[in-house]
Amino acid sequence: MIFTNLYASSWSTVGQPKEKGLFDFDFITWMAWTWPTASFFIFIALCITGMYFWEKKDPGGNPRRGVLTLDTTRGDRLFISLLSAAFIHLAWLGLTDFNLWIATAISAIFSIIVFRYF
Amino acid sequence: MNKTFNQKAWYFVIPVFVLVAFNAVVPLMTVVNYSFQETFGSNVFAWEGTRWFKQILHSERFHASLGRQFIFTFIILLIQLPLGIAIALTMPKKGWGVPVCLILMSMPLLIPWNVVGAMWNIFALPDIGFLGNSLNSLGFDYNFTQQSGDAWFTTILMDVWHWTSLVVLLSYAGLNSIQPAYYQAAEIDGASRWDVFRYIELPKMKKVLTLAILLRFMDSFMIYTEPFVLTGGGPGNATNFLSLDLVKMALGQFDLGPAAAMSLIYFLIVLLICWVFYSLMMKDEGRK
Repeated sequence: MIFTNLYASSWSTVGQPKEKGLFDFDFITWMAWTWPTASFFIFIALCITGMYFWEKKDPGGNPRRGVLTLDTTRGDRLFISLLSAAFIHLAWLGLTDFNLWIATAISAIFSIIVFRYF
Repeated sequence: MNKTFNQKAWYFVIPVFVLVAFNAVVPLMTVVNYSFQETFGSNVFAWEGTRWFKQILHSERFHASLGRQFIFTFIILLIQLPLGIAIALTMPKKGWGVPVCLILMSMPLLIPWNVVGAMWNIFALPDIGFLGNSLNSLGFDYNFTQQSGDAWFTTILMDVWHWTSLVVLLSYAGLNSIQPAYYQAAEIDGASRWDVFRYIELPKMKKVLTLAILLRFMDSFMIYTEPFVLTGGGPGNATNFLSLDLVKMALGQFDLGPAAAMSLIYFLIVLLICWVFYSLMMKDEGRK
């Protein structure tokens, strides 16, 4: 295994020694990485990398005045999408008991709207 | 226009980037990791999913401290902004009074936050403190260590004393940047003092005032040291603001998972409000 530490312990396996993976460095064990949280940050990193290549392809950030009458560039729209995604997920957790993936789907749809019209 | 594109200056940003990565991004990532797990120390973690977020979002305690935090920030802004503008308007514009006023105004800003808390604690003690003793001998029943109303009064008074100067200095800078021609024009038109304030000074101060609101909002929303030293969140939970509550949860109870979830929610609220302020500030910039 390459990243054994990234598999979070469940309550049945907590405290049991894990087989050490190839890239399981001891100095970051305190950060308590797991696959779900790591994929979240990988997603953010991919978004930023994607924005870099988008900017290379179409420089200037495509500034415009959207439905909120705010002057936004592409980066602003990414920020608005991510921030609203966070609040959509929080609202979903706080107000409903349904599956959280529905909130993710709503966030994805909302970010398309943000990139298209904001 | 011929513009040379040279992106080499970005290399100068690398040290800052590394610094921010280590003192902000890495800890923030760790907080995200902690917020989904339970731990009892010794680097042993167990996956809990979104349980802590649900718990915090439904927690009466969180609602109460968030409510207190908003009320506190609202009262602070409501007092400090008009007061700061009023003081800035009465400050002299030239002569020996300028340095005297500026230095007097900067004094409270130079005092460390825990010292401010300790000073006000002693100043307001009901038996030996000057403020507390005077109020009690005037017939008021004042005791900030036991009555929540008095604790709020003292905390707000302390913050007003500590931070109104910031609003004063910003407004004063804004007022001083107004060209005399505007005042001359107002005089010719026979404008009253109120008209001068309403149609010349206030619009000209708009930018610095937005900055003052943003700074005062952020600082008072994240206030920790002063109430910690002054009241410690008491009596009971009366002045238990969001950051005090967070530290109690993280360090007092060692509930790292719920505390991490709470700090993320806290962070998102601050981020949202700052973004709204920033957007409002920048709204008409592009048009000019």
